[in-house]
Amino acid sequence: MIETILRLTLRSLLSRRRSILMLLLALSPVLIAVLVRLAGRPVDPVRIEVNVLEGLVVRTVLPLVALVLGTGAVGSELEDGTAVYLLAKPIPRWKITAAKLLAAGGLTAALVAPATLVTGLMIGGDQGGGGGVAIAYALAAVVGSFLYVSVFLAASVATGRSLIIGLVYTLLWEGLLAGLFAGSRAFSIREYTIGIAGIIAPERIKPALDPITTIVGTTVFLIVAVVLATRWLGMYQVRAAE
Amino acid sequence: MGERPTAPRAADPTVGYPPPPAAESPPPPAAVAVPAALVDPSVTILVDHVSRWYGNVVAVNDVSIALRPGITGLLGPNGAGKTTILNMAAGLLRPSAGSVTVLGAPAWRNPATYRRIGLVPEREAVYPFLTGREFVRLNAKLQGLADPDGATRTAIHTVDLDAAADRAVGTYSKGMRQRVKVAAALVHEPQVLLLDEPFNGMDPRQRLHMMELLTGMAREGRTILFSSHILEEVERLAQSVLVIVAGRLAASGNFRDIRRLMTDRPHTFTIHSSDNRRLAAALLERDPVFGVELADGLLTVRSADYAAFTRLVAGVARDTSVTLYELRPTDESLESVFQYLVAR
Repeated sequence: MIETILRLTLRSLLSRRRSILMLLLALSPVLIAVLVRLAGRPVDPVRIEVNVLEGLVVRTVLPLVALVLGTGAVGSELEDGTAVYLLAKPIPRWKITAAKLLAAGGLTAALVAPATLVTGLMIGGDQGGGGGVAIAYALAAVVGSFLYVSVFLAASVATGRSLIIGLVYTLLWEGLLAGLFAGSRAFSIREYTIGIAGIIAPERIKPALDPITTIVGTTVFLIVAVVLATRWLGMYQVRAAE
Repeated sequence: MGERPTAPRAADPTVGYPPPPAAESPPPPAAVAVPAALVDPSVTILVDHVSRWYGNVVAVNDVSIALRPGITGLLGPNGAGKTTILNMAAGLLRPSAGSVTVLGAPAWRNPATYRRIGLVPEREAVYPFLTGREFVRLNAKLQGLADPDGATRTAIHTVDLDAAADRAVGTYSKGMRQRVKVAAALVHEPQVLLLDEPFNGMDPRQRLHMMELLTGMAREGRTILFSSHILEEVERLAQSVLVIVAGRLAASGNFRDIRRLMTDRPHTFTIHSSDNRRLAAALLERDPVFGVELADGLLTVRSADYAAFTRLVAGVARDTSVTLYELRPTDESLESVFQYLVAR
């Protein structure tokens, strides 16, 4: 059952033009890496690598791709009414959530993680610790993909304005407010993603969150988002047509 | 709207489940007698004192319906609340008050009942990137059928869509889209089939075919509830009719009873002629005419029989040497017919 919905969602996401835009967005760090290489060897390539991967991939590319695919996985179907073909079926709602999360999260990871790895390796891969940094950010991007998508998916079930809410969360909360206070960082997917990279490559990546907060926060965020998405999907009411 | 009409009752398929007393004075819950429909095992869809509102807008107002196997038409003008009722029966909308039970189980938040319910939604959207066959097979798989391919073949053949089954749904005409939606809804051979405006966009041949199909399914003992704003569709297909106007159940029962209610109402015509006064006097002597009114150079005539009056008027004008310039029935729209039923 999960596989059927997963395949349907993947086809649905890939059939849209915005998926091509997301591919281009995911490839943008690779373009930066090419420019860095063309500009000549920097003094500390691994520092540049960390800056590009954290600044461009984790802060911008990952949340944007996850936002578009995460809200598109369920939100678009609820919007155009095709979701009725899933909802009016004897399927436990958690299976629908799981399939949607696997499809959109998997697709986000498939777009972002390889681009992260290639970008990292191109900039600092041949330096001491540079390869490890690239792998760390690529793996962190995989976890971050599922984490972001789970939250945006839940938002898209709850409201038709999930795209705006997602943008506000990413730009305003994660971009501005979460960085201002130490406590608020613990409610930021971006910080969890960097935290995971820091756990894998501690010698070059110095996250703001400690490993325990990172692991606990990641787990709690994922579980809460999936539970809420499932619950809201179970209570979803078709919008008034008349 | 005023008082609730005394709705005619029929044996099939809506069962005797009298409408509740006026909404202004609901009986205390403890005093509610359990209607026969609540314990009647042959009742497949039970809508019990259901209301649904959106903010301040009341979409469905204290509707009670009990259906047995057979075809029931949900007739009413656009915006009357038909889709809201069907969505509540399909468990896709929570009633604001009252309850909806399908095959003995609550409709709301009960996915397991979809094993026995098929739904054809009004909205046209179907995954455009799938072929018709893939779409029907998807529904078969989501229903967990043992042989999704076989069920898909049967359903596609049933709606006569074999030739176009391997084309993308995005390329389908409106009528083909409706048919593929019907195929998807009956792929698991449900006991209850809910269809929202199923004939929209179908040509007369497809319409006839779909009617035969639904009649056959009803004969197999299934409960079919479909909505329509077109009287003739309901007349040709439904054994029983529920008339919904402005969110209320205006009348229910056998189509002939509803039809009689509609045709027996007074009809009004406005006439512009060379001598309205003389024509009025002559018409008033005739049987089907029971009222005339002269105002603003126009003659308004009220008649009990639409057809008899239209046959009569030309002859009377000729006999009295009056020239008819214009004869117009006023407000013969279906909406006004419905309004009349509610106001009775």
